[in-house]
Amino acid sequence: MMSLSNHAGVARAPVQVASLDKLGMKKLTVKRSSSYRSSLIWWLMAAPAVLLCVGFVWLPMAATFGLSVVDMNVLRGTAAWRGLAHYGDTLANPDFHLALKNTAIYLAVLLPLQIIVPLLLAYALMHLAGRVVSLYRGALFLPAVLSFPIAAVVWLWLFNPVVGVLNAVLTALGGMPQRWLNDPDMAIYAVCAVSFWKCFGLNLPIFAAALANVPPELRQAAALDGAGPWRRAWHVELPLISPTLFFAGVTTLLLVLDEIVGAVDALTEGGPFKTSTNLLYFLYERAFRHFQFGEAAAVATLIMALVAVATWLQFRMFERRVHYA
Amino acid sequence: MSTTLDVLPQAAPLPRVRLKLRWRLRLPLLHVTLAVLSLLTVMPLLWMVRTAFTPHAEVFRSTLALVPAHPTVANFPAAFGLFPVGDWFLNSLWVATACALGKLIVAAPAAFAFARGRFPGRDLGFALIVGTMTVPYVITLIPTYMAVVQAGLYDTHLAVIVPTVAHCGFACFFLRQAFRQLPGEIFEAAAIDGAGPWRQFLLVALPNVRAALAALFVLGFLSAWNLYLWPLLVLESPEHKTLAIGLKLFATTGEQGGQWGPLMATAMLGVAPALILFLLAQKQIVSAFVTSGIR
Repeated sequence: MMSLSNHAGVARAPVQVASLDKLGMKKLTVKRSSSYRSSLIWWLMAAPAVLLCVGFVWLPMAATFGLSVVDMNVLRGTAAWRGLAHYGDTLANPDFHLALKNTAIYLAVLLPLQIIVPLLLAYALMHLAGRVVSLYRGALFLPAVLSFPIAAVVWLWLFNPVVGVLNAVLTALGGMPQRWLNDPDMAIYAVCAVSFWKCFGLNLPIFAAALANVPPELRQAAALDGAGPWRRAWHVELPLISPTLFFAGVTTLLLVLDEIVGAVDALTEGGPFKTSTNLLYFLYERAFRHFQFGEAAAVATLIMALVAVATWLQFRMFERRVHYA
Repeated sequence: MSTTLDVLPQAAPLPRVRLKLRWRLRLPLLHVTLAVLSLLTVMPLLWMVRTAFTPHAEVFRSTLALVPAHPTVANFPAAFGLFPVGDWFLNSLWVATACALGKLIVAAPAAFAFARGRFPGRDLGFALIVGTMTVPYVITLIPTYMAVVQAGLYDTHLAVIVPTVAHCGFACFFLRQAFRQLPGEIFEAAAIDGAGPWRQFLLVALPNVRAALAALFVLGFLSAWNLYLWPLLVLESPEHKTLAIGLKLFATTGEQGGQWGPLMATAMLGVAPALILFLLAQKQIVSAFVTSGIR
């Protein structure tokens, strides 16, 4: 690579000198005007993407903040100032409290699962060799490429209380058939299970790559000091891959606040009795079932603030323990 | 470094031997565990395939046999008869292709300008694009919905395609990285031959990042194929729906009729593109998913 570029440089230099000698001053003026023109061309290349991002992300974001403090009449095109009333209504809404509580449950269940299980699997895969390992990898990753709502419909069938295969397995094992998604105490955990099945695979190659990047000298040095596999994992590997775990934590947070809504809608529509709803689903219902756009915009702003605060907290909490190599 | 490595085998024979003995016992156990977990992970999909090929009468028999007693393909025509499944499939195909291509067409020239160009406002423009990656799409949902309705795009595929293409932050970022990894000499050489930014972009840059473009196309296609909430909001008439949201309509109305065979046949069509791409290029898909962080 280096020798190639040197050749190009050597070949180019005389050409430039020759043309400058011939053209003199004229060459300079041509160059300046063409730089203005090329600036314009660069801008034209970048413009569509910049305009789309401004028009479909930054302006709507500002509009959401605006909508949250007014009462918008779409038909008349008028807006009346409401101040923080939409926020007050939202915070006083018992359904909002339920959505908040459920979001906390989703997080409390999924956050540890999404990190610990793929981490254990990545450790196990690291110690195995042979062709069959890529088969394991493929199978474990497979759900991650599928569509969340389509996968959810498949689970709707597995969870079916009357003829679903899960209850068939349970009764074959001597257990009691369950109502799964129709059981108010169980629905949210069933949605968690589907989300976990769909998403854990994505963290697997991420963790595996992080483990592969741990310098072998460190492992050998620890082994020399008499540390077994478990102690090496805890004291050498885990601290070194902690930035990756931290990243996976943030991703899981966004999963719960964002992606899961498709599965909630397909599996339970937030029910039974709103027991499996979450913040985003609450927003969806306020906006598109009850058409309370002002309130929904307030909820959107609250979700955004929550994402910002939670990400910051996660960052602060882990910052001290995370070792950046 | 090399000296410590040379010393190691002599210095630490004892723990190594002990370790090997322990692992010899552990490895088969590990293999069995992983094989079982892998099987459990794909089991829901196997059961979907099983149900798709099971005749209506047999679906309701509670059995754990993975292969139905009388396999049939009748569920596929049955699904097409119950709902416009063919329309849904073609809609999904068209919407996903348009979204993926549109993203590339918008992002590639911009990414090239940000990678190679020098112009006033370049850093601001790039910040405006990359900054969108940190914005949860929820916050844009309501105004975008209102704008789509006002523009008369409600219940059209454009209502899905345009906002999806507009979320091109990751594509711009990813392609800019790819362009920057190309040696600068090839562009300087092209410039000396008189090629302007467009010719450099089309004739020199694009052919050299085909792998990145392919990866982005696949990611864009799959993420658009999997879109749910947004199409659900803006597509109303049954024949305009995409497969993901059509399936939901099928599930809520088909459940009562117990049309599980046709429903799973439709779900099979829904997971087919992702499955085929994954089987064809497992390594590339995994690495593309990991870099993009999409779920």
